[in-house]
Amino acid sequence: MVGPARAPLGDTVPRWISDEPGEEEGLLRALGLTEVDELFSDIPRKARIGRLGLGAGREEAEVVAEIDRLLERNRPYSKFANFLGGRIAPRFSPAALDAILSRSEFYTAYTPYQPEASQGMLQALFEFQSLWVELTGLDVANASLYDGATAAGEALLLCRRIHEGRRFLIPASLPWEEKSVLENYATGPGLTVQEIPWDSSTGSLDLDAVDRAVQSGDVFGMLADLPNGFGHLDEGLPDLKSRLGTIPLVVAADPLALSVLEPPGEFGADIVVGEGQGFGIPPSYGGPLLGLFACRREHLRASPGRIVGATVDAAGRPAYALTLTTREQHIRRSRATSNICTNQSLVALGFVVYATLVGPRGLADLERRLSEKARTLASGLGGIEGVSAPRFNAPYLHEFTVELRRGSALEFLDRLRRRKVLGGHALADPRPGRPHDAERILVAATEAVDDTAIQRYLRSARAAIEAVGVSA
Amino acid sequence: MSFRQARWDEPPIWELASVPESPAAPPPVPGVPERLRRKRGVRWPELSELEVVRHYTRLSQMNFGIDTSIYPLGSCTMKYNPKVSELLARRPGAAALHPYQPEATAQGAMELIWRLERALAKITGMAEASLQPAAGAHGEYAALLMVRRHLAERGELERRTEVLLPDTAHGTNPASAQMAGFTAREIPSTNGCVDLAQLRAALSDRTACFMLTNPNTAGLFESEILEIAEAVHSAGALLYYDGANLNAILGITSPGRMGFDVAHLNLHKTFATPHGGGGPGAGVLAASERLAPYLPIPRVVRRGRKYRWEYDRPKSIGKIKTGYGNFGLDLRAYAFLLAHGEEGLRHVARRAVLNSNYLAHRLSAELDRPFRPLVKHEFVLSGARLRERGVRTLDLAKRLLDEGVHAPTVYFPTIVEESLMIEPPETESRRELDRFAEAFERAIRDTPEALHRAPQNLAVLRVDEVRAARYPRLSWKDLRETAPPPAPDGSMPPSPPPKP
Repeated sequence: MVGPARAPLGDTVPRWISDEPGEEEGLLRALGLTEVDELFSDIPRKARIGRLGLGAGREEAEVVAEIDRLLERNRPYSKFANFLGGRIAPRFSPAALDAILSRSEFYTAYTPYQPEASQGMLQALFEFQSLWVELTGLDVANASLYDGATAAGEALLLCRRIHEGRRFLIPASLPWEEKSVLENYATGPGLTVQEIPWDSSTGSLDLDAVDRAVQSGDVFGMLADLPNGFGHLDEGLPDLKSRLGTIPLVVAADPLALSVLEPPGEFGADIVVGEGQGFGIPPSYGGPLLGLFACRREHLRASPGRIVGATVDAAGRPAYALTLTTREQHIRRSRATSNICTNQSLVALGFVVYATLVGPRGLADLERRLSEKARTLASGLGGIEGVSAPRFNAPYLHEFTVELRRGSALEFLDRLRRRKVLGGHALADPRPGRPHDAERILVAATEAVDDTAIQRYLRSARAAIEAVGVSA
Repeated sequence: MSFRQARWDEPPIWELASVPESPAAPPPVPGVPERLRRKRGVRWPELSELEVVRHYTRLSQMNFGIDTSIYPLGSCTMKYNPKVSELLARRPGAAALHPYQPEATAQGAMELIWRLERALAKITGMAEASLQPAAGAHGEYAALLMVRRHLAERGELERRTEVLLPDTAHGTNPASAQMAGFTAREIPSTNGCVDLAQLRAALSDRTACFMLTNPNTAGLFESEILEIAEAVHSAGALLYYDGANLNAILGITSPGRMGFDVAHLNLHKTFATPHGGGGPGAGVLAASERLAPYLPIPRVVRRGRKYRWEYDRPKSIGKIKTGYGNFGLDLRAYAFLLAHGEEGLRHVARRAVLNSNYLAHRLSAELDRPFRPLVKHEFVLSGARLRERGVRTLDLAKRLLDEGVHAPTVYFPTIVEESLMIEPPETESRRELDRFAEAFERAIRDTPEALHRAPQNLAVLRVDEVRAARYPRLSWKDLRETAPPPAPDGSMPPSPPPKP
């Protein structure tokens, strides 16, 4: 009596690996081997590892149960009156969008290096590039970068390639995460990032400070954001380029806002970057996101990232291919314009599908409706003693800044949370040693905000402020 | 196998509707001053939902994916993307979470990140791991910024300006080195592996670090790795692990055990998260005790039963992106990890290496193998001898597409003439490997004329990439506003070699 043979690769074959009886033995036999370990004879004994302590594998049902147990400990924003926003927008996503993103011909594909086998994704990315060109008023867009912050970082590097200097100007109101990312992008080439203060009444860039920085020389570029880090619109933005002269201007713009605002290309922006997640992609605790990038035609060859171009096939029929790849790392290596390889193609596909499902008029209408909700909330909050809302005397769309005159922003938000309100996020820079001069909160409106939610926010805010009054 | 891809002649989306040249300005948003307002609407089509769904469904039918075909791209680890991960990532408890939610409302997500980081630290043999990078190259870049910080602290940043790497390195390595402010210098390989003598000669007190992937892009395990680590460290330099090829060594060896100081991994390769047609991916940074203090902030920490985001890490490089990483993909990778467990991961490496050696063995009857026969997860063939028939590797790649299988990576690594780099991951069954081998045999035996004409069975014939680069037309705006390039003369376009 012969017992069952020991499986050559291990007794339990993982779920997604073929385990037809005799398959592994057959493969080994074809190689003239009996033991799989012979295939690892090139790994020195001293480099081998023992047990890692990772536990045993699980059935699919157990995986689902275990991850659901974890996810049940989260409280999704949909369970709250939710006013979180900033660069990441928890907006509604039409069901048709996920249906298209779930096409596995798209999501299980690799980068379309073989264009003949990948026309679908290439055409979709060409449409995506076209849409970002239309929204920004610039000439050329790439096929995506990681997120809005890294797109700003790549814009900084492009500015340095097209203009001399050591200093890059940014608004002091820029979200702290973006500041930190930009400081990192500046580090390698030995550049510095200089913050331009805001006007205390409007929160907008202090244009005199921009003039002084430019006059002192050595500036190779400047970034301004629309809306700015306070959620407000800087009315001085159209004047910025004339103050910078030949110094390149980068505008970090919200794509939804661009459905109703003058395209930055029209007022002199040389590069427009943005965060595209708000076009129907769920926030997923911060990623994947979508870095948007467009620039003027003359800077195309110095620009980063993959680009899809229109061409023809051997029969002269329209076709698409990745192009201008001599800028990229896989060809140009250390002289590439960027190290980026994997980008955000699927999210870029989502961006153009969302915009087309909603339509250009629908986008503008959505922005207008969200703006109305934001205004209703701001005027309600402005009536509460101890709260300045909106904090800045500047126009705004779907988001604005609240400043508390007493109590801390984090404590205020925590009290709101206990009343089922996610009241926005505190704007302070949490990095050690950074100044913390005011208690500011960025508040945003989404489709899910209705009168009930606004009333709940106002009631909770009053109670939170009163509680601070009592404890103070 | 007979194969025909869908051919829809689907026009670009703006041709599906008549879009006015100057759409009406959107109604003004109250409070927005005139000078900031859009003066004309966004020029984009207005389509019904069904029209949009049909358009993109048709496009999807003109795209290869892992779900349609074996996709044996070397160094890309195109393994099956489990469906259960897609299901779980769409749960409201994962998708409907904003990164700025209070910690009390995201404890499950934070615990998942904490667990996955710890598991990846174990797998890599490192002290700590961070999920913040959005992709592999992003992780490389962040790691080199950490190296900078570390060297600066040692007072050696001014002097150590060189990053060494083998000539087989992925293109991202030298590009990341340059972006991080270093000079990249390539070391020639011998027989596909690092030449220890040449490396020793190149190492000096100017070396910041040596970047290496092991197994390397020739599919070979660098058996002298312990000596390499010793040489790099005695020169006072650091050793960097490019984790693109980790699949081959899961649970068998680890970057930490091999002597690496810092590493990046690609969850979209080894841990089966989808490649998305080019992204999104998810990167991992793993660091030894010495480099862990420089990892990006915030770090998730456990205090009792509660998880917190910790920002007070004075040596940290700061942020490298918005948010904490691509959580939606981290969750998929965690599902993969749970399903496999420790033994399962080791099985992954064993089967991937078995598949690769099996396919290499079968195909070596067709083309030359430039290096030693024992390979890991991928192998390299040279198509140089096809030249005798006036055929190039590119033609073979295009002909393979006609068989309904994806082509391997071609023209990389560059140290091999007319190279093909083939990686059949563990999720391919023997039947699929045999089908690929048969397709390969049919393709290579076809006539030179047929090879030059390929592909014939796809949505388009061979695409003119030279023309795409010579006359860049990169958007609808270009198609509208720039003069069309001269008509093609009808000859077969000489496509440049595509790269990985």
